[in-house]
Amino acid sequence: MAPVITARDLGIRFYRNRKRNISLREVLLKGRSTAPKDQFWAVRDVNFEVQPGEAVGLVGANGHGKSTLLKLIAGVLLPDQGSVEVRGGVAPLIELTGGFQGDLTARENVYLTAGLHGLSKEQVDERFDDIIEFAELQNFVDTPFRHFSSGMKVRLGFSVVTTLDEPIVLVDEVLAVGDRKFREKCYARMEELLGGGRTLFLVSHNEADLTRFCTRGLYIRDGLLVQDGGIEETLASYNAVLDA
Amino acid sequence: MVTIAHETESRGGSQRRVLWLLVRRDLRLRYSGAALGYGWTVLEPLLMTLVYALVFGVLLPARKIAETPYMLFLVVGVLSWNWFQSALVEGCRSLSGEAKIVRTANVPRTVWVARTVIAKMLEFIFALPIVVLIIVFYRHPVHWQIVLFPLGLIMQVVLCYGFGLLLAPLTVIADDVVRIVRIALRVGFYLTPVLYSLNNLGAADGYGWLAEVAKFTPMAAILTLYRAGLWPQDLYTWPVYVVTSVMTIVILLLGRVVFTRLEGTVLKEI
Repeated sequence: MAPVITARDLGIRFYRNRKRNISLREVLLKGRSTAPKDQFWAVRDVNFEVQPGEAVGLVGANGHGKSTLLKLIAGVLLPDQGSVEVRGGVAPLIELTGGFQGDLTARENVYLTAGLHGLSKEQVDERFDDIIEFAELQNFVDTPFRHFSSGMKVRLGFSVVTTLDEPIVLVDEVLAVGDRKFREKCYARMEELLGGGRTLFLVSHNEADLTRFCTRGLYIRDGLLVQDGGIEETLASYNAVLDA
Repeated sequence: MVTIAHETESRGGSQRRVLWLLVRRDLRLRYSGAALGYGWTVLEPLLMTLVYALVFGVLLPARKIAETPYMLFLVVGVLSWNWFQSALVEGCRSLSGEAKIVRTANVPRTVWVARTVIAKMLEFIFALPIVVLIIVFYRHPVHWQIVLFPLGLIMQVVLCYGFGLLLAPLTVIADDVVRIVRIALRVGFYLTPVLYSLNNLGAADGYGWLAEVAKFTPMAAILTLYRAGLWPQDLYTWPVYVVTSVMTIVILLLGRVVFTRLEGTVLKEI
């Protein structure tokens, strides 16, 4: 079967400081800046393929490029080097509440976010009650989003994004959200998605979550992909590095 | 060569749907917090028109500076300039002001600029009933050249979109851009025939050439297209429209190039 995600020599760099303002002229003229000293590669030379239905855990220390890699796959960052090819849409559980507008009600926000991720109005109509029920917000459907508690916000975000039809699900550290009861529901929803043949990409520091959902592990260190194997062995070598 | 491919069903259709979704959200946000809602769309330009009419039509009536009725002349200019100005100022912020949502949604990034331009255009169209009311009030004749009105609309959409594509990514990188645009717009307001007609300007004092030059500012010719049905005599000679069209398209192309070039940088910075 053809892979759903193909990363080839994938890389992206960031500026270390805000000096780049000066090189604006350079960027305009040449399309890139020539001040490499101020930049670092957050992700570099990453190569991998993901087959449909695979569940991949991304392992690595803070600031080593896991979330950046996820954003490259989601298409919300563009690579400076290489390419990432994604067949089919992506449901990104990244910055869950990011797309929501404080001044709009929960209802309006659901239609907006689901719409931005590819659902038509009719499709949202169909799923609206389920989305609200899962987020347990039946009594707050027409409340402006800014009045929500942080837990309510995240519940709504999770509920909307996991309702999308996208064949690839990217999850960045969001399983830790909400109270225990909601977390259980999230786990159930995730398993349901996986059971339905979705491809999963999970970033987490929680080993239990990683081993529960993933079969394959990618270990990212200093932006480089240092290991690609079973989740257990990847976690083992990650822990070995930490303990050393 | 850097490539990225995100394959989805019927890209064109889904882009239009997303654009429409965002435009509706913009309008809803604009009217949600305000008790008067739509009233502001009409009231604000109407008040400005009254002030200009008072100052330039009543208090300083030294000579004829525009077509009559002056109120009618003004209101067309004020409305379309308002659209231009708000599309540019908010166009600058169309990416940086939506940082969180731009960062999470993988939609074609040009949609963020397009939605500002379209939302502002709709506000312009929603305010047009005032123009109709004033025409009726003065019983002003409407000529066949009214057919040029949509042409002006299209040119202004393209112009605003081009400027937006150019300015939005630059604003993300350097916030100064908004300030520069604000100043340029204030200068542009007086250089553009909003309050006066270039056809009645300067000729007697030997400054006619200045008026000739001013006809080539981006919005000048577009304004005459809007006014053509009311004062056909105010239209310029055809080369002005050709030059303005070319200029508009050049701005659009430049905007596209800059936007594409800076897209990756914008996403990192935002």
